[in-house]
Amino acid sequence: MSNDVMIYANDLSKTFGSFRALDKINFEVKRGEIVGFLGPNGAGKSTTMRILTCFISPTDGSARVNGHDVFDEPLKVRQSLGYLPQRAPLYLEMSVFEYLKFAADLRHLDESTFKTRARSVVEVCGLAQVLGKEIRHLSHGYRQRVGLAQALIHDPPILVLDEPTSDLDPNEKTEFLDYLKQIGKERTVMLSTHNLAEVEASCARAIIVSRGRIVADGPLDEIRAKSGRVRYVVSIQESPATGAYRGRGAPPKKAEVEEVLGKVGGVKKVGDLPTDERAHVFELVSEQGVDLRPDVFQAVVDKGWVLLELHRDAQTLEDVFRSLTIGDERRNRRLPPLGGSAQADDEDEDDDDDDDTRAAGSQVDAVIAAKEDRT
Amino acid sequence: MQNILIIARRDLRAQFNSPVAYVVLGGSMLLLGVLVFWVPAIVGRYWELDRASVVPMFTYLPWLMSIFVIPAVTMRSMAAEKGSGTLELLITMPVRDSDVILGKYFAALAMVLVLLAATLIYPIAMFIWPWHLGALDWGPVVSGYLGCTLFSAAAVGIGMMLSSLTESEVMAFFMTLASLFVLYFVGSIVSLVPGGLGDAISFISFQSRYQSFALGLIDSRAVIYFLSVTVLCLLVAFRSLESRKWA
Repeated sequence: MSNDVMIYANDLSKTFGSFRALDKINFEVKRGEIVGFLGPNGAGKSTTMRILTCFISPTDGSARVNGHDVFDEPLKVRQSLGYLPQRAPLYLEMSVFEYLKFAADLRHLDESTFKTRARSVVEVCGLAQVLGKEIRHLSHGYRQRVGLAQALIHDPPILVLDEPTSDLDPNEKTEFLDYLKQIGKERTVMLSTHNLAEVEASCARAIIVSRGRIVADGPLDEIRAKSGRVRYVVSIQESPATGAYRGRGAPPKKAEVEEVLGKVGGVKKVGDLPTDERAHVFELVSEQGVDLRPDVFQAVVDKGWVLLELHRDAQTLEDVFRSLTIGDERRNRRLPPLGGSAQADDEDEDDDDDDDTRAAGSQVDAVIAAKEDRT
Repeated sequence: MQNILIIARRDLRAQFNSPVAYVVLGGSMLLLGVLVFWVPAIVGRYWELDRASVVPMFTYLPWLMSIFVIPAVTMRSMAAEKGSGTLELLITMPVRDSDVILGKYFAALAMVLVLLAATLIYPIAMFIWPWHLGALDWGPVVSGYLGCTLFSAAAVGIGMMLSSLTESEVMAFFMTLASLFVLYFVGSIVSLVPGGLGDAISFISFQSRYQSFALGLIDSRAVIYFLSVTVLCLLVAFRSLESRKWA
């Protein structure tokens, strides 16, 4: 392991009873990186962070933080990181200053170091106005800032922030992300969120987890490109709803359109989209970096067909996230998995731990069916 | 060691920042006064004893501790932290689990000892200044306070243990109250139960263990008993805190 790897997780697994929260997670975070840890609720983000901060232990696998093993040297691990748990659980009856002092004492900062550090974190986190106030009287946004301040008080090389922006209003969020960029310059930061805009604003790299597994890990551009392919939607008139057909000759047959579109240069795949009898709608996937629109338009004109629609969808990070984690949401709602071979394989693997969920799901179905029968 | 002190100091300050400390201190001093001076009971009313003695006070003190003071002081120590999630921030500081348990234990015990110290006002006011009701034999007073301290150490341990097993302060309060009530008052029925069972009851009863101290006798078996209960309870609390890792 090189010196620059600050967080290293190797085959981390965690099961709660029969629920598998983490399933052999592997990743590395290097010095100076700001990594967004993404995933739907219940995907295993907080579990991972709690393992890294030695709050809970993994069922299997190992993790090292700043070169220290989370099993063998929990104190050294905790010394080298600052942690902000979800919803910033602080002691409400303490004042902001008392809290920072308490955190500094537990981290054995001496009086003069505390003074310099406190001055700096108070400035960075914008706490000067509320230093003497009791935490119970602060808004959630300010509490989150205090949480961040206590995580920074000892100038740790690593910051682990669990949904640090969940309670903030849009203005506070922007401010917070600015702080993060400021303080992240010389630190390793791992932050979890389900807000993708934040990741795009502050992180260069993202790890997407779903159902306890990593489904994507890399620079944002790469993730976007990975499954964020560009697609084109073409719709050709099949029969006019009202009035005369404006095209040359007879309206085309479906197979004909498919063949012509398939021959356009740069087209990688032609997919049939569901539609009514008035149009043929196809989805085209291009090779990397090719714009199909001019050629598709020309091909349609050459044939004398009527082009109803031609547009390009660039997949956003949001689409990628949705497509990578969609199974999660369906499972949480106890719906059957969507079609598609990858999904089906996935299901087969963890049949064992799914049985309970399914049984419960079918019971729910039965109850709903019975209710519907009665009405 | 330093961490234990820091955690204990924070907890103690939190107690005194909330009304709990004052309600407990004020309430129990008032109740103690009523019990000792007005209510006729087992040992007779203070005034009717006709002796320079504070035995009535030492009779009622553990009683008051069991059903009021100790449940109220220990209910928050672990349960509140678990319930509000602050435990996660505390534990992920560079502290050992044992630092947390011991820090919180000493904070709760200190709170109870503050109350014990406050009751010193009775012997002092009665027998030294401003009144001189007679020559008080200080031996039993010292042993009585020693007994109360040992009793408190064990009872706070029980409270800590139960507080660490739940996330609800109310649950912690009533579980502690019930446990201490049973452990203490089971001693009152010893004389009604014959044979081995009676011996067993008197072995575990806090009252039987404590009684000799109130009368001026320091019983080493009782000292060891109270200390063992303390250590055992703290171990259970420690394990319970540790169990979060594997749950």
